[in-house]
Amino acid sequence: MGDLAKILSVSASGMQAQSSRLRHVSENIANADTPGFRRKLISFVESGDGGEVSAGRVSLDRRELQSIYDPGNPLADETGHYDGSNVDLVIEIADAREAQRSYEANLKMFDQARQMSQSLFDLLRK
Amino acid sequence: MLEKLQLVSMAQALASHSSSRLQLIAGNIANADTPGYQAKDLLEFNVDFASVGDQPLRQTRSGHIPSGPEFDESKIVASAFTTPNGNSVSIDIEMAKAVQAREAHTMALSIYQSASSIIRVSLGRG
Repeated sequence: MGDLAKILSVSASGMQAQSSRLRHVSENIANADTPGFRRKLISFVESGDGGEVSAGRVSLDRRELQSIYDPGNPLADETGHYDGSNVDLVIEIADAREAQRSYEANLKMFDQARQMSQSLFDLLRK
Repeated sequence: MLEKLQLVSMAQALASHSSSRLQLIAGNIANADTPGYQAKDLLEFNVDFASVGDQPLRQTRSGHIPSGPEFDESKIVASAFTTPNGNSVSIDIEMAKAVQAREAHTMALSIYQSASSIIRVSLGRG
């Protein structure tokens, strides 16, 4: 019974980590056109001894900023270029898909543990 | 009295093994994106009859309850692949293992239920 209760907290921590990952993905997408914006990366770290996960440090992607040619922009230098962001929408959408899939897998585990403990309680009723 | 029946104690051990296994699986799924995390699993449920035998486990004090077959060795699964960040969890394999654990748990509970209903019938309480 203790194991089943532990599973609920492990799966809940997984869901929380994946939803914070999705939050950073949406922040990146929202700032895809912000000049000078570097996309945020979040890394997970295992916490506790039961397999719980928590969101670790948020770091900035070190890739080069995209150089956009727009002479009319107030930020343009003498060649007419300014630095955009290093957000690639395709990568962000793929990341969002993966976060959703992991979230649903964690939710399935949560539900399965709940049903197993429910069937244990049903034994008492017979 | 029910514990003396080997069938019932095996069913209890299988149910306990399944929920411990599900806890490791939930930990694997929660850490599916953690760098360097290796997937864990339990050894297969295998009762060694030679060691359990017909005698109950020796108790040092009369109040202690003899426990059934023990298993808490978790092993690191040798995975066929690791992602570039060192993670070896495959969500598809974990979901398949979770279904296995769920079915074993259901089977163990059904065995326990039918054993207790047989005893109830023999007591005349149908």
